Amino acid sequence: MRESGSEPMERKIKNLKYVFEPKSIAVIGATKTPSKVGNVLLKNFIEGKFDGKIYPVNPKYDEIMGLKCYSDVLKIKGKVESAVIATPAKTVPSILEQCGKKGIKGVIVLSGGFAESGNTELEEKLKSTAKKYNIALIGPNCLGVINPYSRLDSIFFPVFKLQRPKPGSISFVTQSGAVGSCIVDLAAYYGVGISKFISYGNASVLDESDIIDYLSNDDSTESIIVYIEGTKDGKKFMETLEKVNKIKPIVVLKAGRSEKSSKAAFSHTGNIAGNYLAYSSAFKQTKVIEAKDVEELFDYVKIFNQPLPRGKKIGIITDGGGLGVLTTDAIEETGLDIADLGEETEKKLKKILPAYANVGNPLDIIADADPELYKKSIDIFMDDPGVDLIIVIVLFQAPALDERLLDVLVEASDDRRKPIAVVAVGGDYTHMNRKILDTYGVPTFGSPRDAIKAIKKFTTYSLTSRCRKCIFR
Amino acid sequence: MSMLKDFSLLEKYKFKLLPYKIAKNEEDAVKHAKYIGFPVALKIISPQITHKTDVGGVRIKIKNSDMLRHAYRDIVSSAEKSKAEVKGVLVQKMARKGIELIIGGKEDPQFGHMVVLGLGGVYVEIFRDITGRICPISKQDVREMVGELKSHPILTGVRGQKAVNMNTLEDIMLKTCRFMEKEKVKELDLNPVIFDSKGADIVDARIRK
Repeated sequence: MRESGSEPMERKIKNLKYVFEPKSIAVIGATKTPSKVGNVLLKNFIEGKFDGKIYPVNPKYDEIMGLKCYSDVLKIKGKVESAVIATPAKTVPSILEQCGKKGIKGVIVLSGGFAESGNTELEEKLKSTAKKYNIALIGPNCLGVINPYSRLDSIFFPVFKLQRPKPGSISFVTQSGAVGSCIVDLAAYYGVGISKFISYGNASVLDESDIIDYLSNDDSTESIIVYIEGTKDGKKFMETLEKVNKIKPIVVLKAGRSEKSSKAAFSHTGNIAGNYLAYSSAFKQTKVIEAKDVEELFDYVKIFNQPLPRGKKIGIITDGGGLGVLTTDAIEETGLDIADLGEETEKKLKKILPAYANVGNPLDIIADADPELYKKSIDIFMDDPGVDLIIVIVLFQAPALDERLLDVLVEASDDRRKPIAVVAVGGDYTHMNRKILDTYGVPTFGSPRDAIKAIKKFTTYSLTSRCRKCIFR
Repeated sequence: MSMLKDFSLLEKYKFKLLPYKIAKNEEDAVKHAKYIGFPVALKIISPQITHKTDVGGVRIKIKNSDMLRHAYRDIVSSAEKSKAEVKGVLVQKMARKGIELIIGGKEDPQFGHMVVLGLGGVYVEIFRDITGRICPISKQDVREMVGELKSHPILTGVRGQKAVNMNTLEDIMLKTCRFMEKEKVKELDLNPVIFDSKGADIVDARIRK
């Protein structure tokens, strides 16, 4: 298997830089007709304050939204690094040819109507033109990309309907535009910051493996989420996953798990082993993290934003005994360990806790615990080398807790010495507090089991994969 | 006689099949059984019969020549009753007592050859307790696969029953990958493969190229 960086990346993959960070972009198919793709697209570029020059292209207009409009890209005077194409499929190959001639190195083709509708010939034309000019081409039939750092956004959904996430460290690679748009919306909702979002559609020139490969060398990407329905090249996909996962954790969500295996199969194996078994096998072999649905995916995304744990010894701080027990149950079912608290830790805890509290793990700091007691307890756990990860269980319902606790938890998460996770079970009020914490990068979970499931994947990754983030301080 | 072809191809790759011989008639069967050594099993060979047990085409634990003659006549006549063409009768040494596993393989359109391990026997399609790996695989993969099965305590030893012989399992699994890749096999069943702590017997096999 190749080592990361030891082999020069193909030119077309390198050129993805122009797709993600262009200094100038042509919006081909920009239009004045409201709610058309080319209209929303241009509006999003202008109102989103794209960090570069915008050139609308449409032979019908001289000007759109106050910008000079060009009849084709070759008419543009200055250098153009990138283009987004949203014109009917049959016009795309000749437009791409013009892009090539203009020296445009990164192109996003949003238009559908290619191989997915049976027009394979049209798609072949795209491929050969892209190859001729070494164009990094995303699509066709996709939503394109978001790079919040350069405020690049080719998602043609109105911002008021689909929130955009803030800049962050997670990159999303998605085959489906529909699922992709939900992921973007949810990422913004949970306050998860993203580095890049890529909806790659038909993958006619660059496929999921090429994109993941690029992201492994992208400085602002620390972890990668992949939504996939099917790959065309399984071996290449596996090789890429294995290589990149060692550097940056990859979480995969595979759709199409329930396909019926052929009843008419020749063998028992053929009957019981469907195509999904091949995918799940590949994921296990490459050690990537598989999520089974979008909710689970976000649980993993949240926890992987924390610093990697050194081991699997869990310290639990709770203001409710019962939830501590439920968490312990979940931990023991999963094969994680309950940390043994050090003597020093116990001494320190005895000093801060009321006389009637028991010092142990789970540490029950009693229902009248205030934010200050949480803070002191977390600090003591942070200092105990026998604790690898801290779960803080919070009953936001308790009278002694107020918004000061949020500050305590955010501070603990920002400490970055050890990963922390918050478990809070409850209704609207609890949800509101969870959402605030999530926004500040504190991973919260609605039940001990959800938290433990995610933590298990997190510790397994940390203990089995070598990666850059493993260089602990 | 595709079964024979399958068996001898597997033997070429040093898969250890249970000792067997093909009998054309009753006398043949007695002679083979004595050569192999009782107890033996008899299995009908017919291109029309895929699930031999369902049509009374299998007799097991045959201890002597008398039992063998009766069994021979029984399975041939039940096959003839179901209008199946009888190509012969397989005389096979009785397998060891142990844990029945299925070891399989298939060619996946995206990932290529893969191996499958699961709890075997008659319930294989009911429990569907299986796990897989894309070829090539390592011994570490095999150990992980065992851990992934819901029935893994059965394989690793439970209630006084000894664990299956891991070396043999690793050997068969690794060999299966090499075999499928070299012979370009589309589908493969080694089912059942009966394991105990000392080794394993491959009882039956099917190959589609």
